[in-house]
Amino acid sequence: MLEQLLIFTRGGLILWTCKEIGNALKGSPIDTLIRSCLLEERSGAVSFNYDAPGAAYTLKWTFHNDLGLVFVAVYQRILHLLYVDDLLSMVKQSFSEIYDPKRMSYDDFDETFRQLRIEAEARAEELRKTKQVGKPVSSVKKQGQVSKAGLEGGNKRVSEGGSKKDDGDGNKAKVSTLTNGHSNGNHQMEDDSQETDLANGKENTSCNVAVDLSKLQKLRSKGVRGRGGVRKTDSIGNKSSKVAAAEPAKKATKKNRVWDDAAPKQSKLDFTDSVDDNGNNDHVDIVAADQGESMMDKEEVFSSDSESEDDDEPGSDEKPAEAKKKGWFSSVFQSITGKANLEKTDLGPALKALKERLMTKNVAEEIAEKLCESVEASLEGKKLSSFTRISSTVQAAMEDALVRILTPRRSIDILRDVHAAKEQRKPYVVVFVGVNGVGKSTNLAKVAYWLQQHKVSVMMAACDTFRSGAVEQLRTHARRLQIPIFEKGYEKDPAVVAKEAIQEATRNGSDVVLVDTAGRMQDNEPLMRALSKLINLNQPDLVLFVGEALVGNDAVDQLSKFNQKLSDLSTSGNPRLIDGILLTKFDTIDDKVGAALSMVYISGSPVMFVGCGQSYTDLKKLNVKAIVKTLLK
Amino acid sequence: MDNLEDMKIVAEQWWKQGIEFVQQIPPPQLYTAIGVLLLATIWLLSIRLFRRTKSNTVLLCGLSGSGKTTLFFQLRDGSSHQGAVTSMEPNEGTFVLHNENNTKKGKIKPIHLVDVPGHSRLRSKLEEYLPRAAVVVFVVDALEFLPNIRAASEYLYDILTNASVVKNKIPVLLCCNKTDKVTAHTKEFIRKQMEKEIEKLRVSRSAISTADIANDFTLGIEGEVFSFSHCQNKVTVAEASGLTGETDQVQEFIREHVKP
Repeated sequence: MLEQLLIFTRGGLILWTCKEIGNALKGSPIDTLIRSCLLEERSGAVSFNYDAPGAAYTLKWTFHNDLGLVFVAVYQRILHLLYVDDLLSMVKQSFSEIYDPKRMSYDDFDETFRQLRIEAEARAEELRKTKQVGKPVSSVKKQGQVSKAGLEGGNKRVSEGGSKKDDGDGNKAKVSTLTNGHSNGNHQMEDDSQETDLANGKENTSCNVAVDLSKLQKLRSKGVRGRGGVRKTDSIGNKSSKVAAAEPAKKATKKNRVWDDAAPKQSKLDFTDSVDDNGNNDHVDIVAADQGESMMDKEEVFSSDSESEDDDEPGSDEKPAEAKKKGWFSSVFQSITGKANLEKTDLGPALKALKERLMTKNVAEEIAEKLCESVEASLEGKKLSSFTRISSTVQAAMEDALVRILTPRRSIDILRDVHAAKEQRKPYVVVFVGVNGVGKSTNLAKVAYWLQQHKVSVMMAACDTFRSGAVEQLRTHARRLQIPIFEKGYEKDPAVVAKEAIQEATRNGSDVVLVDTAGRMQDNEPLMRALSKLINLNQPDLVLFVGEALVGNDAVDQLSKFNQKLSDLSTSGNPRLIDGILLTKFDTIDDKVGAALSMVYISGSPVMFVGCGQSYTDLKKLNVKAIVKTLLK
Repeated sequence: MDNLEDMKIVAEQWWKQGIEFVQQIPPPQLYTAIGVLLLATIWLLSIRLFRRTKSNTVLLCGLSGSGKTTLFFQLRDGSSHQGAVTSMEPNEGTFVLHNENNTKKGKIKPIHLVDVPGHSRLRSKLEEYLPRAAVVVFVVDALEFLPNIRAASEYLYDILTNASVVKNKIPVLLCCNKTDKVTAHTKEFIRKQMEKEIEKLRVSRSAISTADIANDFTLGIEGEVFSFSHCQNKVTVAEASGLTGETDQVQEFIREHVKP
């Protein structure tokens, strides 16, 4: 049964809760919903799962954008309630009739709600009965038609056989007919895991293709997924089904990297005792020691031209009389033209154009899709303000959403964290992770340079014990910057090397330890396990994911897989996930800055540094306004 | 006597000259000139009028979950209704404080109260309201104070070093909310802890190079441990409880600084 149904304003005041259902909710699901879903621009998703000690809830919501109201229904996850969406829309309709901005309590709504609930439950019962009647019919297609005929119309989606495309509200039919996996209720999702939202969002978009294709494939190939693995967990299964639909060009499973048992000439790989080139030593040291100010410390100057020339929205209330006059005239105008509220059909073309534009800027396709859904959800039903076109309203809303996503959720003041760790007399440990070739070692050196400029003592740890030349590379950087480096050569266990490096740092009083790891593909199971072991064993203060700005749709996959592996393979109760992103090779893209957006959206962690060149000073902070401007140009 | 008459004659001459000159100008030009003059004077007057009305905006800010929305409705209606959830948008209203509504003291100027969401993703909304604020009330959760002290002190530091706050010397009230609970900290404790944290922030932020300072101004006096008395704008501490309606100290503060 329904645990709770709340109505509150966007400003946060609760207007009405259902008093019949007296249960207090465990934990704080509503606040978590707002913080991790609605404010993260995932309001296009269909439901949200919340786990608290002692309860597992699913939340569904709907907005009334014109009045600024939010309607949320909470129920136990194990019950697949079919009538929730229907109930929410009916509640929305009837409540908006009695809503008055001056009124704060709506006790008379209890009665209305009770009736609505009974109605909705009755309808759901009927629906279920007709579905059960329709089952014994032989052909799949016929079943679809029978159930279609038996329905009362509205938001029902028939998934098997004939796919009737519907505007995503009707989950009920889907939930009742789908057997497993694809239903929302089965997803094991923590608050931070973004993956299932992805799968949800993809499946529940107005295009039903994802679900149908995957079902067909399932029927055809009997459980052989695109990724060629046994179906381990529901989430992975869903992910692969989604991938199977979205990327029919199947990616073959990565072959495991084979560690040659013959151990080719181990001595040759170990260059710890090599002869340094004495000639240029001192020269190099002095030259590299001071290359000037790191770009992190330079103020970014960018021209602030008007964001949108045609936008007439009077933001400030400086001339209230004029605004009032405008309002009256435009309402007259609009009453003549007849269009007041924004509908989905109005927003459709504008959003589509925006999505195309975002994709040309190298934003991953699914991210652009989800963003557009979220903006649509927040604009639907809103009244057009005076003298603005639909496209400019949509643009403004999208800009708002982008700024909100790119603004970090927590403070990214690393120097402050370093000072805090210094007081506790432990070194601040940063681990750089990422796939091959993104620039981890180069940017590690840049970060070391920047920290050095701020009088922080740094130590490097060479835990890339696989790639030939990795240790030498770091050693060269260390020599140029004159900072100590801890290394144990090649073919050693990186987790152990890191542990010893941290002990060494505690001994000689270094403030920061920068740990370099080997690049690894996100699908490579043994390597991801090794990384997880390193992180679990050493519990670093900051796990920095290094990603290049050139990456396209793969960014989504990389980040989600990394996060997932880190949380799956973690031994403790609190898994350490990726805390920050370092965006590299930013100078190679002119205005195709979308990778930043994809990465931030999918992982929820902020971009802490941006690498924009190959020398030590080429490290800067992310300029949110400039990026948003470039994305929407 | 002679001087006066001379002056009168000169003035009359000038007057006649002026009239002749004016009569020489063709009428449309004359009218447009007068029109422009009138407009300009009206515009200047209106700007001066606008500037002269002192702002009556009170900003309620603080971390998410500190109780700003509850306090807002408490000040407005005298009750917190059915509770609040995390705000996604600011709550604004222009009204007379609820308590004062009951005591009829004659004409009381209404205040414009703004409750800015505390969630970090919505931090930019604060920037919109700060320039027009007359008073800032920084709400702190006295119950869950220590776990959030870093974030709270960083937020307060950002406010105290904001350009508008420093230039206009906007008074700040550090309001310790949720004092009705038994385990809530006292305002003295909170004040000392915040001063300590801000001192740490001050040291770390000024230790970095000048271009890196994200804040417009630095706080406090060099070489001395930070204390709220060092701020040029007045910073006071008060206690309140949004749920039970104990908002007297806050209302006093608002009344003091928003001149009726």
